[in-house]
Amino acid sequence: MKPAPFDYVVAASPREAVQYLADVEDASAKIIAGGQSLMPLLALRLARPSLLVDINRIPGLETIERISETTIRIGTLVRHRMLCAQTNSPLLHEAARWIGHSAIRTRGTIGGSLAHADPAAELPIVAVAAGMVIEVMGPSTQRTVDAQDFFIGTLENSLADDEMIVSVISPLPERWGFAEYARRHGDFGLVTVAAAEVQGEVKIAVGGVGSKPVRMLESEGLVNDSVTLSGQLIDQAARAAAASVEPNGDFHGSARYRIGLVEELVRRSLRQLGSGQADSEVDWS
Amino acid sequence: MTEITGVDPKGNESVGRAVQRKEDYRFLIGRGHYVSDLRLPGTRHVAFLRSPLAHAKINSIDISSALEADFVEAIFTGESDPFKSVSLIARSALPSYIETAQPILAWDKVRFSGEPIAAVVATDRYLAEDGLELIEVEYERLPANVSAWSTPAEPLHKEALDNVLLERRFQSGDVKDALAGAEVVIERELISNRQGGNPLECRAGVALFEPGDGTLQFWSGTQVPHLVRNALAELMGMSEAKIRVVAPDVGGGFGTKAALYPEDVAICMIARLMPGTPIKWVEDRAEHLLSATHARDHRYLVTAGFSSDGTLLALKADVTCNVGAYSVYPWTAGIEPLMAGGLLSGPYRLENYDCMVRAVATNSSPSGPYRGVARPASVFAMEAIMDEAARRLGMSTIDIRRKNFIGPQDIPYKMPTRLVDDSGHYERCLDKALELFDLDQFLEEQQRRRGTNEPPIGFGVACYNELTGLGRAASAGPRMPFRTGHDACTVKVNPDGTVTVFSGVTSQGQGLETTVAQIVADGIGVDYDDVQVRIGNTDESLWGFGAFSSRQAVIGGGAAQLSALVVRDKVIRLASELLEIDINDLILRDGKIWVAGEVEPRLSLAEIARVAYLESNRLPDGMEPGLEATRFYDPIRGAFAAGVQIGSLEVDVSTGEIRILKWVCVEDAGRVINPAIVDGQIAGAIAQGIGGAMYEHLIYDGDGNLSTGTLMDYLIPTSGEIPEMIIGHLQFPADNPLGVRGVGEGGTLGPNAVIAGAVADALGILVDQLPVTEGAVWEGLQ
Ligand SMILES: Cc1cc2nc3c(=O)[nH]c(=O)nc-3n(C[C@H](O)[C@H](O)[C@H](O)COP(=O)(O)OP(=O)(O)OC[C@H]3O[C@@H](n4cnc5c(N)ncnc54)[C@H](O)[C@@H]3O)c2cc1C
Repeated sequence: MKPAPFDYVVAASPREAVQYLADVEDASAKIIAGGQSLMPLLALRLARPSLLVDINRIPGLETIERISETTIRIGTLVRHRMLCAQTNSPLLHEAARWIGHSAIRTRGTIGGSLAHADPAAELPIVAVAAGMVIEVMGPSTQRTVDAQDFFIGTLENSLADDEMIVSVISPLPERWGFAEYARRHGDFGLVTVAAAEVQGEVKIAVGGVGSKPVRMLESEGLVNDSVTLSGQLIDQAARAAAASVEPNGDFHGSARYRIGLVEELVRRSLRQLGSGQADSEVDWS
Repeated sequence: MTEITGVDPKGNESVGRAVQRKEDYRFLIGRGHYVSDLRLPGTRHVAFLRSPLAHAKINSIDISSALEADFVEAIFTGESDPFKSVSLIARSALPSYIETAQPILAWDKVRFSGEPIAAVVATDRYLAEDGLELIEVEYERLPANVSAWSTPAEPLHKEALDNVLLERRFQSGDVKDALAGAEVVIERELISNRQGGNPLECRAGVALFEPGDGTLQFWSGTQVPHLVRNALAELMGMSEAKIRVVAPDVGGGFGTKAALYPEDVAICMIARLMPGTPIKWVEDRAEHLLSATHARDHRYLVTAGFSSDGTLLALKADVTCNVGAYSVYPWTAGIEPLMAGGLLSGPYRLENYDCMVRAVATNSSPSGPYRGVARPASVFAMEAIMDEAARRLGMSTIDIRRKNFIGPQDIPYKMPTRLVDDSGHYERCLDKALELFDLDQFLEEQQRRRGTNEPPIGFGVACYNELTGLGRAASAGPRMPFRTGHDACTVKVNPDGTVTVFSGVTSQGQGLETTVAQIVADGIGVDYDDVQVRIGNTDESLWGFGAFSSRQAVIGGGAAQLSALVVRDKVIRLASELLEIDINDLILRDGKIWVAGEVEPRLSLAEIARVAYLESNRLPDGMEPGLEATRFYDPIRGAFAAGVQIGSLEVDVSTGEIRILKWVCVEDAGRVINPAIVDGQIAGAIAQGIGGAMYEHLIYDGDGNLSTGTLMDYLIPTSGEIPEMIIGHLQFPADNPLGVRGVGEGGTLGPNAVIAGAVADALGILVDQLPVTEGAVWEGLQ
């Protein structure tokens, strides 16, 4: 469990960081942010970058700013712990509390979590549900990507080899719900559901049932087409969600069980969205 | 309670108190000293190449490109001596037992994924691992089998074509007759889950062969340094006088470190091949999960007959234990099956017993001792039977247990396997546990919740006996070439009156330095703070088998007390001469000599010790200088510790989530030496047991690859999953000088049965398979 050899540089600016990425011939450079996903991969030699570009000392990427009445910009180096502490987005606050343990939340970053693209991770699911927009920089380019299009597959994102995430623009949902079931405190969820209403439209994203966060389009349709969110409608939407997913089973839970969890957690998240009350009873302090 | 013999009641001031542990301060300020902390100049690091396949012939191992790499200092494979000529063979004289030869580095065949094949030596572990990538091995795949109850396609060892390494039948009475006359007959198939010890500190060793005098020093995180020295001498053809094994601070063991492993022998052999160079190997977590010993992969086919009043009439069982690829050294493949069959009936009276146990080799990491050795699984099986019999007979799960307990009037009770139960206090434990649990209140709440939307609740109970502190008679079962009944201890009063103890016990966090110091302090009559205990060094202590079988407080503690009393006796005799006062009028307390009835002491221990060491002219005729004694202790039989656990939980039926509500444990640990240590042992063991009951599961896929190879998939409970515990004690002294019973393992015995029983009680579904996961509960409800 020791990494294969690699070179290491500290970048002073995003521009310098992506230049480092571009300058490595075989495209095997990697950014390191909080290291909470990359370090285990390095230690198991599942990732073997020739160069690590450390972005932790780039100034200005660790802030959350309100850019309009209804949106915030989150720098890529904002730690999960800071998402827990902020009050702009209660959805992000709630979701970030579910990530790992405090040591991990103190180091892990929002950009790292999105770039890592683990289909069970909380932040990608929230990003899709809330319709976040990811701001990306390359050596000579700058572009934005909708979260919906950012995730391609398990641990696969749509960044080019020489691009990095600089920040994320997140709408502040009017109403939201979040529900997760993990086997132990701090584990990745077996199933995680985020529901967010932005400008009157509800989106529901589910993690743990595919290679990336999956939108529950039929359930969304049911919710968006109706004026009130009755218990009956919630049940209907939950069943529609369960009917639409095709998860894989493993020793943590069969496919059938995960489908059952989807139904229950969609129900919980929509109830929460409807009531504005957090469902979680856990004291995370 | 009977009186405790052999202890001066006036001096009894340390035992029984939660004194500050001797080891805590150094741990808390970060000055513990583990093998990893040993940084000898010129140290070289070893990484092992491990088989990626579960079963294969090795056609060739090509190390040529690795040898060319300038960062690789040496590479060793099993094809050449000394590795080739040595293998680990666990011996037993049991009739059907088949020995297996476990290679130090596999060279002709690999039998489990993770088996070491080659060792690379480099200046650091990173480079050593780089070197591993340059080795090319050509394998010829063989069919792998990881289940002990499916027919193997290809045997692991040519000596055992059916993979069965041991079979033994325990028989007593007439089971057939008794079953025929039974009111209800229960048949169950119960399966427990493969787990590993996973101490915080994985295995670790540093070996140094000194060319100047031909000595080998081996610093090892072992639970059994003397056994390791003994085995290394034999395996390496060295004299024991030239081997020193040191177990410094060790960060947990749980049995995992009671085996001697191929890696241990390999680094010692490498050290001898590279004289003067310290050779270090520190196991990482991936290696630990893959290649340290596993345990608890069992199947129980049980048939039990009960009379209409709930009396257990007969028990018939067929127990299969998956023992992995080799018979674990030196404990043998018998360790789990023999324990499973030897104590299946637990704390219940039984005459008619017929139990076949077998050890089956599979392409998986060898099974070894793990806290509770088979008992967590066998208690699960037995208690499942009791619960179901109660249900079928319309009795309460409490009453059926009461009906069958071995009671104080039965003691000594000879079990159908001829083990002798000296406890019999199960019902008292149960009574106290019920009181602490408040069963009436629970039942009321359970009733109230029925018919509401609130989560259903259930309670489960586990009653068990744990054979601890096994003396030479009790440890005879496995018929190994050694009997683990005794330990030695040396107690020495220094010239300044302080005390140094060289004890044969070892500690992996259990606080043995403290426990032994408390015993010696009271035994001599000195202050606890004046006693220093040195352990884990074969050059210092005479002999100790080490930490396993909850034996050390009983056996090592017994030896410490005997030695202390001999020293105390000499102090008193010397004082009597110096003061010219009859020995019967003298008392040694708080490190001072008092004359009975006087207010001021006459002499200090320091003054007497000074005479003993420095002023032989003042010694009486015939008295040797010095104040020191070494004694062995062997309790001959064992001491049974009784235990009862009761827990309640609620189930979220929409997710299958289990939330533990309350957990009570009452144990009879005999006389408690240090209450904080004893409670810590019980709480830790219960936590580990809950891990096994609900989370921890080593899973191989059909090809024999370990699917749970990191702690992301092998789930160990965190503090978030472990409930508050209410721990109660009974203190019925055992028949040994200190009156103690072992307490290190018992806690692990309850949780499987408690969780399974409580889920059954809450939901009315039977739990036949562990672990009890939310997914399994949910499936059971569909
Ligand atoms: C024990 C444990 C438990 C955990 N539990 C959870 C959990 O429950 N839920 C959860 O979501 N996560 C969990 N994590 C992962 C954690 O959230 C990580 O912090 C996160 O996934 C990655 O963020 P990071 O900053 O650590 O990224 P790093 O590990 O540094 O990098 C991860 C990947 O992202 C890339 N990257 C990082 N920053 C950028 C950027 N700005 N632009 C482009 N690429 C970038 C890296 O090159 C790398 O490929 C856990 C981790 C551990 C160790």
